[in-house]
Amino acid sequence: MAELVGVFAASHTPVMLNFPDAISEQDRTAVYEEFRKLGAEIAKTRPDAVVVIADDHLHNFFLDNFPAFCIGAAESYQSPAEHWLKIDKHTLAGDTGLGAHLLGEALQAGFDPSFSMQLTLDHGVLTPLVLTGLSRQVTVVPILVNCVQPPLPTMKRCLQWGRMLGDAIRSYPRQARVAVLGTGGISHDVATPRMGLVNETFDREFLRLLGANNDEQLARYAAEHVNEAGNGAEEIRNWLIAHGTAAGARFEVQYYKPLPNWYAGIGLARWHV
Amino acid sequence: MPRNWQLDMPTPQAYWINRILFDVHHKPGHLEQYRRDPDAYMSAIPLPPEVKALVRDNEIGAMYLAGANPYLLRAHCLGLHISEATFLASLRAIAAEARDG
Repeated sequence: MAELVGVFAASHTPVMLNFPDAISEQDRTAVYEEFRKLGAEIAKTRPDAVVVIADDHLHNFFLDNFPAFCIGAAESYQSPAEHWLKIDKHTLAGDTGLGAHLLGEALQAGFDPSFSMQLTLDHGVLTPLVLTGLSRQVTVVPILVNCVQPPLPTMKRCLQWGRMLGDAIRSYPRQARVAVLGTGGISHDVATPRMGLVNETFDREFLRLLGANNDEQLARYAAEHVNEAGNGAEEIRNWLIAHGTAAGARFEVQYYKPLPNWYAGIGLARWHV
Repeated sequence: MPRNWQLDMPTPQAYWINRILFDVHHKPGHLEQYRRDPDAYMSAIPLPPEVKALVRDNEIGAMYLAGANPYLLRAHCLGLHISEATFLASLRAIAAEARDG
């Protein structure tokens, strides 16, 4: 059976790559160093595959067909989808077997994801992989969650998804080491009049609740307060799914800092599974 | 009460605004066609002329109020190399009218 060897989370924003100099050199150096540390921790788990929980920022999906949850089951993924993102072209290795297994388990468990065998992954997946130094090393199974176009899946459902996903990974009938990386958030606004505001209070409380072992309270807080934290904060769904996979394992914040000139509260964390 | 989204569900008008923003940056050759002649590019799109004018003239704040998805709007402006200062100023100018206040 497969082993869930690590669960991690990190913010992503294209600004990290497109406008790195918008923040001070000290902050920039610190953030990049924290991403490298996270990459080293992920690498230490020696994952055969990393399940990357992210959102598609309207590149693969559009209003003509927008899944709430989509599991990738391709052999490889081109990235980035954005012609304007300042990063080299990548071809990320995929794991069709694990993707298919997760899809089947999800359906058996009463969840209804879509699936895709051809995705061009965007900055939500690529930015953290590049900054952690893992983009050319790891095999990925992307799970794309609609955090970007209402109506959105509920916070509670994302926690349920995470629990199901953890079970599904552990039931994969191969000797595989699987890590999980949730990406996005924390508070930020994208293309709204509030853009540039960061809600540090929300971010710190959300991080505290991830470690508080009270999932009902966590889901309630996320649902009731996300509108105070910006449309980009809707990506905490990806953190909630990661949290669910960790099944109550100890949560540790590695780094957090509000960086308004990068338009986001930047957080990195792990669950000690 | 602040809200993260201008619309809880896109209107038909928002669909077509977003259709333009999506196609320009995802379909081969469309960015060049759009840059060359935005009016011609949008000629078959079922939107009123005043809404097409918002898109053509990069009225970013007004496009937001009209229901442009913020991520598509952001990507569109990055793709057209609109400056951050112009982008932010246009959005902040409509703060009082926006649902997120």
